[in-house]
Amino acid sequence: MKGKLLTKTEWIAALLGAALALIMGGWSNIVFAVIAGAFIGFTAEQTKAGARRALIAGFIAALATVVAGWFHNNVIVTLPGLTDVPKASNTLLVYAVALGLGTLAAFSLAWTRASENERVSRYGPLALLGIAAVVFPFFNQSTGLDIIWTSAMVVAMIYTLQALGLNIVAGYAGLLDLGYVAFFAIGGYTAAFLNSPQFHLDVPFWFIVFIAGAAAALFGLILGAPVIPLRGDYLAIVTLGFGEIVPIVFRNLEAVKIYEPISEIVTALQGRPQDALCLVGCGEFPLNITNGVQGINPIGRPEVLGYVFETGKYIPWYFLILIMVALAAFFINHLRRSRTGRAWVGMREDELAASAMGVPVVRTKLAAFMIGAMFSGFAGAFYASYVSFISPDAFDFSISVIVLSMVILGGSGSIPGVILGALLIKLVDPLLLDEMQRLVGGVLQVTVLKWINAPGFENFIKSLLDPTQYKLMLFGLILVIMMRVRPQGLVPAGIIKYKG
Amino acid sequence: MAEKILSVVNVTKRFGGLVAVNRVDFDIEKGMVVGLIGPNGAGKTTFFNMITGVYTPTEGEIVFDGNSIAGMRPDLVQERGISRTFQNIRLFGQMSALENVMVGMHRRLNAGVIASFIHTPGMLREERAAVNKSLDVLDFAGLGRGYADTAARNLAYGLQRRLEIARALVSDPKLLLLDEPTAGMNPQEKADLTRLVQRVRKELGITVLLIEHDMKVVMGISDRVSVLDHGEKIAEGLPKEVQNNPQVIEAYLGQGAAAEGA
Repeated sequence: MKGKLLTKTEWIAALLGAALALIMGGWSNIVFAVIAGAFIGFTAEQTKAGARRALIAGFIAALATVVAGWFHNNVIVTLPGLTDVPKASNTLLVYAVALGLGTLAAFSLAWTRASENERVSRYGPLALLGIAAVVFPFFNQSTGLDIIWTSAMVVAMIYTLQALGLNIVAGYAGLLDLGYVAFFAIGGYTAAFLNSPQFHLDVPFWFIVFIAGAAAALFGLILGAPVIPLRGDYLAIVTLGFGEIVPIVFRNLEAVKIYEPISEIVTALQGRPQDALCLVGCGEFPLNITNGVQGINPIGRPEVLGYVFETGKYIPWYFLILIMVALAAFFINHLRRSRTGRAWVGMREDELAASAMGVPVVRTKLAAFMIGAMFSGFAGAFYASYVSFISPDAFDFSISVIVLSMVILGGSGSIPGVILGALLIKLVDPLLLDEMQRLVGGVLQVTVLKWINAPGFENFIKSLLDPTQYKLMLFGLILVIMMRVRPQGLVPAGIIKYKG
Repeated sequence: MAEKILSVVNVTKRFGGLVAVNRVDFDIEKGMVVGLIGPNGAGKTTFFNMITGVYTPTEGEIVFDGNSIAGMRPDLVQERGISRTFQNIRLFGQMSALENVMVGMHRRLNAGVIASFIHTPGMLREERAAVNKSLDVLDFAGLGRGYADTAARNLAYGLQRRLEIARALVSDPKLLLLDEPTAGMNPQEKADLTRLVQRVRKELGITVLLIEHDMKVVMGISDRVSVLDHGEKIAEGLPKEVQNNPQVIEAYLGQGAAAEGA
């Protein structure tokens, strides 16, 4: 290590931070400097010397990020089609703050991690991350600039909560669930039923969350019980079916009319079906449970001491979902360090051996399925309340796939990994790609397109090089590369240590 | 005559047309070390799998400690007090050695899902006790606490064998089934493992049934030896007797060998 200014990973952190700041511009260099610094702090050697090195490396990375940010704000921004950078974010103060916070992030994380006091080395970094997460939205607001950061974080954390739940099923217990979205939908619709004009109910959100979680867990039991004994591919196919069926059921439950079956048969045979004994939905209109494709709207908002959460004011939502994610991570970590968690992982590693060691396989798998579903139910309830509108279209198969990708990309069975994976996947899309689209468009405008006079050809070139068009391809590419280079995920699950 | 801990009565296992185990009667007395030998494909592992609930016998009865266990689920059999190791090591590779052993305690711990969620004081006390006990068992198995936090798949082969035994021992079984515990070991390791098995019997008072190919090991530690061939029990008795039984020699070395030897 000695003699080298930066290690390879530190170079990667610095260059990535710089590249992102170059694309995003504005005051994003503060965010990326902190993230690059945090990365350096986490990968630094866990010694005092390592912390000192991290200080230098963090400073260099922050400097690179700041320079890139400055370049965007003063040079790139002059390209046509780019959003103006507000003056406030192109000041010396912003750059100084980025430099300071980036360096501080690297040093403080490395230093707490290197601490000889076990409490500090274990909880210090967590506390620092917590502070960053708490300060972030205010910081964002105080600049009065890109409100989109906070709203993007809210959505990303809804997915994080789901990914944490799926991590129990797929990561710990090793059950490939391709229909995880079903439980998200069940949680969402439970919330919608309980607080909307649909049934004229007005249950407070704080109860709904738990009811939605319980409902999802219950359906986890109902759906899981018959299929849990299936292994591997078979389970994947069956769960895939659930993921497709559940939204369709919600779509179709808009005109329910149920006849008593015996009288239905008898009257049909007698040629007078109109006389069949009707049980449900007999009036002029059949029973409408889910309002079909139109969905349910509006769904009630959470309320704290008279303050009602509202659309457009993201900070309360941000903290609500942050708390939910933090609690989920906390409790799931507890579960992993218990006999239940050990039984899950043991079963994943070798089902026969686990069973021979006394683990009741079916019951343990069902528990994983139910508890995993429960967290998705929580996420669904939050989502329904946050968007205030729910329809079957919101629960597409792609959600199951994306959440599974988050788990695998981050590190199957690793809580920090899954959180990182979820945030990465869900933030890159709304934040980065849009900005890249503008950037590439601007560059094209002043270079290639200058020499082209045919508008058709111009449009073709523009859409050909539009990064947002490559969203799914990039997504797939990242997964392929990850599986080849680092199949265990970004932050692989480590060894669990116990104290006697 | 000592008390019988396990009696297998007239057990048969057929896979389609293949008869893997054919009407075998077999008793184990409490506190003994019993060797089960036989050529490859004789049905020894199938026999093990029936005792531990992996397979249900096609016919026959298995009585353990006074209760019928034929066809019982493996985890329930383990709870009753039969623990086992596997011929091809089957550890939980990504888990630490300590966690591997702790999984073996699953049925001896009481914490439910709710207690696991919130880590109640009672659950934490139980966990601490489980950790300490598991560490003790690791020590007993000769693995040492130094390896407690090593992933099982990163352990050396001999240590993996010992870890599997530790995992089986931690539940305080009454009967321990070892499926070829010394396979692939060098003579020194085999001698060490033989000593471990003797200590299991002497210090822990656990009855042991082991499948083993190495005659030196089997004859050295077994009180009694049974021989399976083509799914049938062809001999049983003291190691010395079995060793000189012409049928056994024939099963191992082929027809004529017995006559020549004699």
